[in-house]
Amino acid sequence: MPSQTTRRELLCRGVLAGGLGLAGATVSPADAAAAPAPPSNVAVLGRLVRLELLILYAYQHVLASSLLFSSAQDVVAGLRDQEQAHIHALSAALSVLGGTSPAGPANIAAADHDLSHRNVSQRLGKLRGGKDALRLLLAIEHVAEGAYYVAMSELGGPILPRLGAEIMASEAQHATVLTVLLHPVDLTQAVPYGLVQGRR
Amino acid sequence: MVSPEECASRRALLRGAGTTLAVSAFGMLAGCGTSSAGRASVKKVPLVVRQADVTIFNHSLSLERQAIAAYVAGIPLLNASEAKVAKQFLNQELEHAGELLGLIAAAGGKPIPRAPSYDLGHPRTAREVFTLLHGLEGNQIATYLAVIPRLSPGPVRAAVASILANDAQHLSILRLELGDSPAPAAFVTGRE
Repeated sequence: MPSQTTRRELLCRGVLAGGLGLAGATVSPADAAAAPAPPSNVAVLGRLVRLELLILYAYQHVLASSLLFSSAQDVVAGLRDQEQAHIHALSAALSVLGGTSPAGPANIAAADHDLSHRNVSQRLGKLRGGKDALRLLLAIEHVAEGAYYVAMSELGGPILPRLGAEIMASEAQHATVLTVLLHPVDLTQAVPYGLVQGRR
Repeated sequence: MVSPEECASRRALLRGAGTTLAVSAFGMLAGCGTSSAGRASVKKVPLVVRQADVTIFNHSLSLERQAIAAYVAGIPLLNASEAKVAKQFLNQELEHAGELLGLIAAAGGKPIPRAPSYDLGHPRTAREVFTLLHGLEGNQIATYLAVIPRLSPGPVRAAVASILANDAQHLSILRLELGDSPAPAAFVTGRE
């Protein structure tokens, strides 16, 4: 995967010049004229960063809690690192567009309030073991899928829709991995729907 | 919920996959109508689809049909538990093809004819089947990512992203079957 710095550099160059996609594709003059992206991109990116910060907080809390069985600990740590990479990329894009990254949850109570607001039934402050922790992470990954599904309708310009789709696919893979940890015998449960739209 | 029209479309797709691939097709359709139960269909979004995007959808449709053919050809080489998963993925690929056919129809376009056959190589073992499927799923993802910024309006991008994300999940399970990390990168490109 591209390093965070490389991705940020590409984003900066792409958004400012209006002519570079993440894969180096050329864009039409109309696309170039459309850059910088409309203000709505700032709002969407801010929303996504706020959610990603909540997800990261949840992963960090679960990993620090020592609730996970050892085989799951390393896997979940890898997913946490990927959430961190999402935040770097989204925050870089937001910054280039003149936006300010929101703050993450200040404490467990604030995170649990946000989880409740997003209709996640589990609470970080009331986890009852490793499976409960995995279920919470899975629920919030489904929220992420839904958030990116909505964002894909909103993000514009030559770069951000691709970035959004790359991260949406990553969140979908996280949901699959977490489901495999919960149900290792039946892999069909890990990919239940042909169209990933998450929870909204 | 998958509509009867979509089921018919799936059967039509399978009929077109070639005579050698028709074996056990009806068995594989057992899950038709249940794979997306409880999920809102993309078609519930009032889609306005541009005629200009039909070429993109038709190219994607050809890749979906190739993947469908590969699943149908490969499933007999898998053991029971592997085949169960692969049949589910086959149903989901059929659902993707149905969505693309719907987008083409919404744009007033015509779907390209099915290819008479697909060059799938000669996989003989489960590992070779998974390697073939991994390549095809990755190619689909890379193709969808390349075209998504060019698609409009927004709901069409979301519809394509929902297909792409499911292909990424297929990739994760296929990588597990191959003994690889199921989610190796923070940004899914299909080239992992």
